Amino acid sequence: MLVALAAVPILIALAVKLSSRPATPGRGPLFLDRITQNGLFVAVTALVVCVPLFLPLTVGVVAGDTIAGEANLGTLRYLLLAPSGRIRLLLVKYAGAVAFCCAATATVAAAGALAGVVFFPIGPVTLLSGDTIGVGESVLRSLLIAAYITVSLLGLSAIGLLISTFTDVPVGAMAATIVLSVVSQVLDNLPQLEWLHPWLFSHHWLGFADLLRQPVSWTSFGENALLQAGYIAVCGALAYGKFTTKDILS
Amino acid sequence: MARARQRWLPALLIPLALALAALIGSVQAGASVSLPPKTANEILAMIARTEVHALSGTVVQTAELGLPEVPTAGPGIVPGATSALELLTGSHTARVYLDGPSKARLQILDRMAERDFVVNGSDAWFYNSADNSATHLSVPVPSNTGQKDSLRSETTHAGMPTPEAMASHFLSAIDSSTEVTVGEASTVAGRSAYRLSLVPRSDGTLVDSVSIEVDSETGWPLGVEVRAKGQPEPAYSLAYTDVNFSAPDAALFNFTPPAGATVTEKPVPIKPLPPPMEGPAGAAPDDSAPAPDAVVPTPQGSSSPMLPHPSPSVTGKGWDAVVGLPAGTAPAELTSNPQLAQALQPVSGGRALTTSLVSVLILDDGRVFAGLVPSDRLQSAATAQ
Repeated sequence: MLVALAAVPILIALAVKLSSRPATPGRGPLFLDRITQNGLFVAVTALVVCVPLFLPLTVGVVAGDTIAGEANLGTLRYLLLAPSGRIRLLLVKYAGAVAFCCAATATVAAAGALAGVVFFPIGPVTLLSGDTIGVGESVLRSLLIAAYITVSLLGLSAIGLLISTFTDVPVGAMAATIVLSVVSQVLDNLPQLEWLHPWLFSHHWLGFADLLRQPVSWTSFGENALLQAGYIAVCGALAYGKFTTKDILS
Repeated sequence: MARARQRWLPALLIPLALALAALIGSVQAGASVSLPPKTANEILAMIARTEVHALSGTVVQTAELGLPEVPTAGPGIVPGATSALELLTGSHTARVYLDGPSKARLQILDRMAERDFVVNGSDAWFYNSADNSATHLSVPVPSNTGQKDSLRSETTHAGMPTPEAMASHFLSAIDSSTEVTVGEASTVAGRSAYRLSLVPRSDGTLVDSVSIEVDSETGWPLGVEVRAKGQPEPAYSLAYTDVNFSAPDAALFNFTPPAGATVTEKPVPIKPLPPPMEGPAGAAPDDSAPAPDAVVPTPQGSSSPMLPHPSPSVTGKGWDAVVGLPAGTAPAELTSNPQLAQALQPVSGGRALTTSLVSVLILDDGRVFAGLVPSDRLQSAATAQ
């Protein structure tokens, strides 16, 4: 899955490199038109492309598989035979999902940076505010964006873990998690449901643009972190309730 | 069984605790604060005396005018085409940096994009990240620079859509047609603020009341809220969500267009800055020789701010004032914007835009009438001429 994610920035870079027609500003994903001038934008563009679907997709697969996958393989009861306890298993499984979130965003960012360095010139980066920053600071900002997206995916991982405790069919848990992430994003685009928007776990997913402003606006980072923490707390508590009272039959 | 129930306890308690925390947060935000009582005149004097030299803050504008929501994302949305109506619907956030009378920066934070206005001395820049274009204007240095270093509305920031600019629009129009009272003190941007309430004495206007929140410490207007008749929620509000009265980083005001941007040089404009978020409150009932740009209640967007305005006619007084523009002077965007065309309703002799706060009548002969009044009053003003 990480290889598939890494392919996204490379494909973007190749497509832009090979197309003879320059991209029109304002069309297509953010910064697509700037890639030819500055390779550092490949990573950011790739992250923008991956956030709505590819990253939730892979995270959904990993998080949905956590408990249900073991149950399906029949290994869950052997895991619980060891005197480690169910809480610990739940925590370890969640930690695994979190590690995957980090790895996934880092892969996209690193592959994007690499593809940018290989195919395009590198130079100072223009921020959304029109200010220009040097290469060093732009790498720092890319890392911040990767961190932001990792945090954004933590809530979804917790939801996946929760669903995973309710079923023995891993595909069901994966599909349900991915469908939820899509539903949340669709609801977020309906103006009639404005009151609901701040409570949707995908509401701040594209808010990392605030890290590309001068000076950096930390508001969305904080709000996003708080929201994801809330999802982790609620889903974690529910998963604890379900998993510790569950009869493990397989 | 009791043990099993105990294990579900956190699943019950944690959502409850979070809901409680959210509830407390919203209650605290609306809690009233106790401030030493002041009369309306004392507060007005406080605003006039305010000695703020610099600030940085975040402003949120919300408009509930009963217009259809304009989609800002999705297929078929050409950047810029929605600007006219976009700023009249929904909510927008901007960051404001001011330092002295000649330095200002306004950043409208769009989703994945930003529009910047930078004024530094005689240079003014407009930068739009969506199409990577920059516009440069040379503005004459305000003549009163040496006189006073305080941020007053006569400076370059006058065109900036900040709460203080909007407040001064309304305050300058206070006359016998307005009843000024002091409302309940509140908290704005984490600061305690007096609330000044302007209520029109006339029945002819759509405006129910205008309230201005004034910082209790500095006398700086922190928020403006316009309520329309027969609408429970505010029709228009513009307020700081956070504000800091220390000087912002000087580097913020040095703007050089990024490499690769399309740079347009514009001649000296009629007005110092294109007001990007000029909403209906821009239609302040200014009956004493109104500045043309201050009375056209539709935001002209960034594309046509330099139109020369022949003198408009004003019918009525105070809140009931109706502004008429002669034929051929209306911004082209008014008639050519497809989204705006959808919102316009055909009436006899032309088309009308009716919102809960402001009405615009575009006649077939090209004349445009606007005011904070119902549209039938516009029609009677149009036929009277």
